[in-house]
Amino acid sequence: MSLAGAEGGETLPGRPGFLAARLRRIEPARFFFLAAIAVLVFLIVAPVVRLLASSFQSVDDGSFTVANYVVAWSDPRNLIAVGNSIRYAIEVTILSAVFAVPIAWGVSRTDMPAKSLVRALIIGAFITPPYLGSVGWILLGGPNAGWLNRAWMGLTGSSHGFMNVFSFEGMVLVTALYSFPYIFVFTSAALDLVSTEMEEAANILGSGSLRTIFRITLPLVLPAILGGAIIVFLDTIALFGVPAVIALPARIRVMTLVLWQFFEFPVRAQAAAAYAIPLILVTLALFAVQRLVLGRKGYVALTGKGGGRRFAELGPWRWVMLAYALFIVGLAVIGPYLALAQAAFSRAWGLGMSWANFTLDNFHTLLVSPDSRDTIVHTFEYAAAAATLSVVLALTIAYIVSRRLVRAGGLLTVLAMAPLVIPGIVLGVAFYATYAPPPIALYGTAAILVIAYTTRFLPIAYVNSMAGVRSLNPEMEEAVRILGGGRLKAMRRVVVPLLKANLVGSWLLVFIPAARELSTALFLVAARTRVISVMMLDLSENGSFETLAALGLILLVATIIIVLAGYKLVGRDFMLRRS
Amino acid sequence: MKITRRAATLGMVALGAGALAAPAFAESEEQLYAAAKKEGRVTWYAGYLNQPICEAIGEAFTKKYPGVRVFATKTTSQVAFQRVLQDFNAGAVQADIFSSTDANHMTYLIGKGQLVKYTPPNAAGLVKALRDFNGGGYYYPGWVGVVALMYNTKKVSAADSPKDWPDLTDPKWKNRISFGSPNFSGLVGVWAVAMTQKYGWDYFEKLNKLNPQIGRSIDDAVAVLNGGERDVAICSAAAAFRSAKTGNPLAVNYAKSFTLADYSPTAILKGSHSPNAAKLFANFSAGPEYSKILADNEEQPLRGDVPPPKGAKSLADLTLYQPDLADVEKLLPGIRNKWRDLFG
Repeated sequence: MSLAGAEGGETLPGRPGFLAARLRRIEPARFFFLAAIAVLVFLIVAPVVRLLASSFQSVDDGSFTVANYVVAWSDPRNLIAVGNSIRYAIEVTILSAVFAVPIAWGVSRTDMPAKSLVRALIIGAFITPPYLGSVGWILLGGPNAGWLNRAWMGLTGSSHGFMNVFSFEGMVLVTALYSFPYIFVFTSAALDLVSTEMEEAANILGSGSLRTIFRITLPLVLPAILGGAIIVFLDTIALFGVPAVIALPARIRVMTLVLWQFFEFPVRAQAAAAYAIPLILVTLALFAVQRLVLGRKGYVALTGKGGGRRFAELGPWRWVMLAYALFIVGLAVIGPYLALAQAAFSRAWGLGMSWANFTLDNFHTLLVSPDSRDTIVHTFEYAAAAATLSVVLALTIAYIVSRRLVRAGGLLTVLAMAPLVIPGIVLGVAFYATYAPPPIALYGTAAILVIAYTTRFLPIAYVNSMAGVRSLNPEMEEAVRILGGGRLKAMRRVVVPLLKANLVGSWLLVFIPAARELSTALFLVAARTRVISVMMLDLSENGSFETLAALGLILLVATIIIVLAGYKLVGRDFMLRRS
Repeated sequence: MKITRRAATLGMVALGAGALAAPAFAESEEQLYAAAKKEGRVTWYAGYLNQPICEAIGEAFTKKYPGVRVFATKTTSQVAFQRVLQDFNAGAVQADIFSSTDANHMTYLIGKGQLVKYTPPNAAGLVKALRDFNGGGYYYPGWVGVVALMYNTKKVSAADSPKDWPDLTDPKWKNRISFGSPNFSGLVGVWAVAMTQKYGWDYFEKLNKLNPQIGRSIDDAVAVLNGGERDVAICSAAAAFRSAKTGNPLAVNYAKSFTLADYSPTAILKGSHSPNAAKLFANFSAGPEYSKILADNEEQPLRGDVPPPKGAKSLADLTLYQPDLADVEKLLPGIRNKWRDLFG
């Protein structure tokens, strides 16, 4: 991969003095870009190549074999699982978009009330480990004892509930409730960037509100919606938490459940790799689809010129908008957490609600034990470090690719996107194999988790950064360069400030899944580097459901406080409004 | 016969020589401790118990042997085993002690020559059945999973509750049973092997007609019963006692014909950082302090001289059955396959 001249650099090889002349013209920025590419290549290629290699290695002596692929793919049940997983991911993606896009429009573009609360609750849905959300939903929608079903039976006198969470539809619903925030954050960040001038122009030309939304607004943010949808799709394919709780009792076979079985004795981690590797092809196919949909249309939305943003006045409809938003976050957060709260405040939740059974002990135990306090603090520290690293790396790579600073930009995109689709447990094995043994020897340190999260969630930051950088008209950076500034200065003074909201969004988009990540962390934590998700698994295996529910509530409340404080602090800039 | 001083001295020298030839028996606790102190730490990959219990054990160890810290990491046995394999492949053994709920892990490592042969002196005090579970001296039990029947006392009376394994196939339990999957839990795997051996595969065909709710791990059933979603379950007795202790409406029946006990081995890994501290820790795990911590956490103590937790029976008072390891290894893959076909 060579750095091509950004101006299309005429090459005149062979002429003496040419090299020295070139060297003098090389900007310091190039070294920075080269370093970023080197970091990307190392972070991704080291574990992925290890994974790829192990998929061709014999379990016994490490010699070359295709037997792992035979083991992984010859059982027709494993093929059915692939079909189920793809159907599952498609349905979750569609449902997530149905949840997310209207709310994003309502929050970013209308005078809907209580926006901060809605945003905070959406972040609350986002931080909820899907495993915990599923448990909450079992309490709500279990066919025999779910609250909603009991209420229904009480109201109608029916002998059956009206829903069964242990079903394909149940699994899709629950997953979408904890995935839609991806699309929401992408879409609302994009809506926040686009000025309303074009919509106003459409209105002036006689277009009605709905027509404007569908012909102007949505096409403008389509890249962002698609970016979010791709993340949801890939994340769902690789998701373990929800299927473990719902698919298994519902007797639905999905890929991640098959994968875990390769780790039962006799352990066939190599077959697990062979089963997971083809998913990278799925990623490639998705990007081909994205390219087809977007075509060659340009969506430069942010130019150097001004452009105001004005909220659509919905009148009484703004309450309908709010009701829809609250309904969705109610399903995702309020309902399940109420059900979990019953356990969290109970001595023994199997006894039901009563004053005699009420206690704060579960919270007390968690908050006074230094061990669990450390675990909670670590979780946020590691996630924050990973989010920061991912955002810097993703923005740099997205800039390099979109401004065509290197020839093999497409390859960089594939690299940056590869980790998301590889299920966490397989990636966990690869990370452990790469970073635990000497000379790197990071096992037991926080660094191994931070590196793992950075790598695993880089794709999310990358997709978001790409959407942001694409929306910038390069003429602003060109202006910096015409005036004698370098590329780094253009990035620092133009790209970063303009994309502030986008970058904060990226940061959150990595921070949150990193804070709830389970299957990779499972392989990499040591005694002193335990994180909340692993602790939750421990608590569930221990039958300590009351403490588990209390931990979930602490996580939710802490997150909402952090997010609301964040909005208070950076509110105006966050919205990027020109007063 | 008069024993001369000379003969006695000779005898002692001979004993000493014998000790040198068989160091496993000769290393006194003091010697081990002195060597362990130089090593300063012991690292434990635990596939059973949970992090707080593992840490309580570590603290008790360090209290008894100051200067030797325990770094315990609890994961699932599968994850711990995968790490051990990778550490050996990388030539960098991280852990001194490896504990697993799956004895096949140990059989595999013995085959590869990766375990240290060591019988801790304290093992003599273990319950008889456990003493014999030692893989020819390469491991000894560090935890016993007792598989029992559990029911929700608000929904099921003691008289009505299932007393033995076949009772579960009674049609009255339709839509009321829950258990884990042998494809995700070693303990459920051993249970499935035992049921197949004693009652035939037909047992599961009958259960399936009652539409049981299948979870992942054996202890998922605790939450399922407390939530009221199902009423009777297969469980690990310790998890049920732990939850019942806080007041949850759960009770345990040890099955009448036999109680399934899954002995879970712990062993010392070859080539680790702290071989002496590892032996000291191994001996500690077979000792009374360790069993006491288990009992305090509603787990089954491994020794006869430590009373079981309230409500639980001592291992010595139960009719225990554990399928032969070789049988488990032979039968389980087929059972898992049939299970996938039957239960999805």
